[in-house]
Amino acid sequence: MPVWQQVYEEINDPDFVILCVAEDTGGEAVAGPIFDAANATYIQIVDTNHIISSAFNFVNVPSAAWVDEEGRIVRIDEGTYAKVHELRDETRSITFGNDVYTPALRDWVEKGSNSEYVQSIETVTGNIRALSFEQQKADAAFRLANLFRDHGLTEKAEHYWNLTQTLNPESINFFRQNLTLSEEGSAGETFMTRRGEYESQKKDYYRPLDMDS
Amino acid sequence: MAAFLAYPELRHPFEAKPIHAEGSTSVLYQGRQITLTETGSGTDSNQSLLINSEDLKRINGFELKPEGACYADMCIPLTNKLQVTQEGKQWFDLTAFADLLEQPYVFDAESNVWSFSEIPAKRDNMMVNGLAPDFEIPDRQGNVIRMTDLKGKKALIVTWSSW
Repeated sequence: MPVWQQVYEEINDPDFVILCVAEDTGGEAVAGPIFDAANATYIQIVDTNHIISSAFNFVNVPSAAWVDEEGRIVRIDEGTYAKVHELRDETRSITFGNDVYTPALRDWVEKGSNSEYVQSIETVTGNIRALSFEQQKADAAFRLANLFRDHGLTEKAEHYWNLTQTLNPESINFFRQNLTLSEEGSAGETFMTRRGEYESQKKDYYRPLDMDS
Repeated sequence: MAAFLAYPELRHPFEAKPIHAEGSTSVLYQGRQITLTETGSGTDSNQSLLINSEDLKRINGFELKPEGACYADMCIPLTNKLQVTQEGKQWFDLTAFADLLEQPYVFDAESNVWSFSEIPAKRDNMMVNGLAPDFEIPDRQGNVIRMTDLKGKKALIVTWSSW
């Protein structure tokens, strides 16, 4: 996460912290070297059980919350990119992200509650996703699957990963963590088909960023 | 873009090993595994998890007090559905407690593991008042990070993945 390290260094305020939470099911083996390569000095967490994500009702990455000095959430659950990214290989390229989020974040750190990017309690609570009982139950199934994986119980892990996705089909996190552990990977045909469904149904893949660009 | 961010070798990287000692029961909650050596199963066999009330606190932070099962400023009155006596022994019915609080759980009978989702009432402050939820998780250096420890600072909490 070199881009968040850059943002953190630029903001350079002792009363501002970044918690950067990696949801990789590959855990430290996958996420650790990425943090290390970024020379990260912010708080780094490897969260294979998606504890933080479920605490804030996030369903996709990257997602974020801004929390003020009093513990109030002042923005939540937006596709959180620090800049415009481009990924390419021989056959195609994908562009994603934006260039408005980081300046907005900097504005909030400087101005606090006077920042125009601070949202009202009503807006914030309205932006927190409401999860059904079944969707909440998916968290329990997911952690059970991870426990079985950690103990080498392959069939049980597969069973509960499948149950997780049945209980919460809206979670792109659960969908992609599972794809990452397959031969086709997290951006193969299965993912592209799902992504295409979002586009054709005009559903938001991320909650739209409520900032002027 | 075949095999883009694919780690199939990490799907099941671990050798089979026991989850807990023979005869034990494990509870998963908030990313922790709590192993219990003494539990009961109720009259409907595998549908209930009865625990010693002393174990309640290390599972979900609730403590039994005269006014009920309490956590922070919340107390759930104790009823004979929650406190069960079997053959002279008193148990706390953790599954009845979860049902009362509308807390979801999943049980794997073969391995004797109960996995609980978060207790919705613990999250009312977020859902209604927009306050950040409590969590507790170790960072990469092994320090335990709690939301409450961040008071007095502005925090950007951002999730990502190599996916």
